[in-house]
Amino acid sequence: MDVSGQYSNPLVKRMARNPLKDKIAVVGLGSTAYGRDLARSELSLGLEAAVKAIADAGIDRQEIDGICGSGMTPLAMGGAGFLSLQGALGIERCTWVKNGWLGSAFVYAVEAVFSGLCDTVLVVQTNLRGVGMSRAAARDPFRLRASKYGDVGGDVGLGDFAKRWFHSGEPYAAMMRRYMHDFGTSQDAFGLMAVSNRSHGARNPEAVMRNAITLDGYYGSRMIWQPMRVADMDVPVDCAEAFIITTAERARDLKTKPVYVHAMSLGGARVGEFYENTLGWTENAFWVALQGLWARSDIKVTDLDLFFPYDGYTLDAIAVTEAAGFCKPGEAGDYFKDSWDFTRNVLRLNGRTEVTTNGGGLGMGRAGGSNLYSEAIRQLRGTEGERQVKGAGTALVGIGSFFHDPSAVVLCTG
Amino acid sequence: MSNTAASDDEVFKYFHDVKIDHDNIAHYRGLMAKKLLINRCDDCGNWIYPHRPLCPKCLSWNVIPTPVSGKGRLYMYTLIMQSRDPDMPLTEPIQAAAIELAEQPGLRYLSRVVNCPVEVLAHDMPVALTWIEENGRFWPVFQPTGKAHG
Ligand SMILES: [Zn+2]
Repeated sequence: MDVSGQYSNPLVKRMARNPLKDKIAVVGLGSTAYGRDLARSELSLGLEAAVKAIADAGIDRQEIDGICGSGMTPLAMGGAGFLSLQGALGIERCTWVKNGWLGSAFVYAVEAVFSGLCDTVLVVQTNLRGVGMSRAAARDPFRLRASKYGDVGGDVGLGDFAKRWFHSGEPYAAMMRRYMHDFGTSQDAFGLMAVSNRSHGARNPEAVMRNAITLDGYYGSRMIWQPMRVADMDVPVDCAEAFIITTAERARDLKTKPVYVHAMSLGGARVGEFYENTLGWTENAFWVALQGLWARSDIKVTDLDLFFPYDGYTLDAIAVTEAAGFCKPGEAGDYFKDSWDFTRNVLRLNGRTEVTTNGGGLGMGRAGGSNLYSEAIRQLRGTEGERQVKGAGTALVGIGSFFHDPSAVVLCTG
Repeated sequence: MSNTAASDDEVFKYFHDVKIDHDNIAHYRGLMAKKLLINRCDDCGNWIYPHRPLCPKCLSWNVIPTPVSGKGRLYMYTLIMQSRDPDMPLTEPIQAAAIELAEQPGLRYLSRVVNCPVEVLAHDMPVALTWIEENGRFWPVFQPTGKAHG
C-alpha cells in the first residue's frame, strides 16, 4: 500500500488556473526601523510603515479602499488590525478589509484587487518581540501587558470603564435609543423585525425558538441594556455551517443546482475600535458595504425575492434594511407596518420580498449570520419544502457589524 | 498621589488590569493625577481618540496628550440592567453614556453619569467631569451641569 498516497483518487484531476496573470501590481513600499526595543506600540509601527508606503506610491490615502491588517485575530486589541489602521489613518471608506500574517496577507490583497472588491489595498504587517521569544522581553511591562490583554476582549470589563465599548454590544442599545430620538420614531420597527423572525422560526423545525411572539410580547420581554430587550438579541446556540465554493464552470458539472454570487462588497468606516465614536446612522460600515454592493450589482433592491438582514441585534437588521434602500433612513417602522403580512405575521417587503425565512439568529439561533447564507442558498436551490418561496431567484444577504467588516452579497440562480 | 508624575512601573502597577501601551500610558498617568488627557495634534489642532500616535486628519506624529475642559454632552446612553457575571448581579442599573466632549464634534469618551436620576437622563444634556473612587482608584465620570432638555 502506498502510505503517502492512501487517500489519493486517480479520478480527481487538478488543473491550475491563473486568470490574474499580469493583472495586479505593487506600487508602494514603506518600512520602519528594525530594533530589539523600539519602545513603540504595534499600531504605531504599522502606521509608520503605512504612511511611508502611501507616500512612496504617491497616492492620496483616500484612494485606499481595502486594508489587510496584521495578525490572525481581526479584533485583537491595541495591535495593527484593519479596524485600528483605518481609524488611525483616517481612511473614510473601504469595500474590503481583512487581517492576515506570514505570506497570506499579500495573497489576500492580490485576490481582493483581482476580484474587484477594491482597487487599492494597503497591506500592513507588524511584528513585536514577544515575551515568549526572549527572556529580556518577558521582563518588559509593555510587552507583558500586550501579551496578557492583546487578544479579542482584552481588558474589556475590567478596571477602566472607558474600554467597555471596545467591540461591545452595549453601544448598540444606546444607538437604538439615539435612532428613535433622531428620527422621532417608536421602537416598533425593532419589535416587528423580532416578531417576523420569530414567526418564521416557529415554522422551522430546526429553530431553537419555536414559539412565535406578538408585538406586545416583544415589549414585555426582559430588559437587558435599556432600551434593548432580550427579544432584540439573537439566541446563543451551538451550531455550524459550511459551504463549498468553486468556479461557475466546475459548478455546471456538479449534481446540485448552482447558486451564483452575483455581486458582493465588504465595508469599513473610520470609527475604529471604540464604538462610542460611532458615525452618523448612514455613515457606518453597513452603508459603505451596501453602496459598494449596488455599485457592482445588476440586480437591484426591487428585484429581490429574498432578503436576509443580519439580526445579531434587531438594530443591525433595521440598519441593513435601510442601507439596502428598501426604505429611507429612519423610516423602517412605517415601512414595516405597510409591509406586514397579517396572515403569517411576517414581513413581506416591496410586495414580494420574503425576509429571513428560517427565523435567523433571533428565531433559529445565533450562527454569526452563516445560517442566513445557508437558508438563502437552499431557497435558491428550491429545496426548502414547506417554507420554500416559489420561484425564488435572487437574494440579498447582509451580515456584519456597524463597525467592522460587514458583508453584502447578492446571490442568484443565474 | 504626589506631585511628581508616576513612573512607568507605577502606572503598570496601579492599572494592573488595563492594557497599557506606549500610545496610552500618558493618558493613564493623567488619570492617576485626576486629569483626563486626550491626544491632540499639535500641528492642526485635531483631537484624537482612542489613544493613537498619528493624527488621522493631517497624518502628523506631533500628538500631545492634552487635558480636556471636562465639559460635554450626553450623546447616547443605555442602562445596563444585567451584569455579565452571573455571580455578581447588579444592585442598580449602570448609566453608561458616550459623552461628546466639548472640544470637538464626534470626540466621545465612554463613561458613567452620576448624581442624576434615570428620568433626567436625556440625549444632548450638558454634563461635566467629576471623579468617583472605586476600590481605592479614582475614575472619570460625568454629572449634569444644567437643566436637562431633549
Ligand atoms: Zn493633525
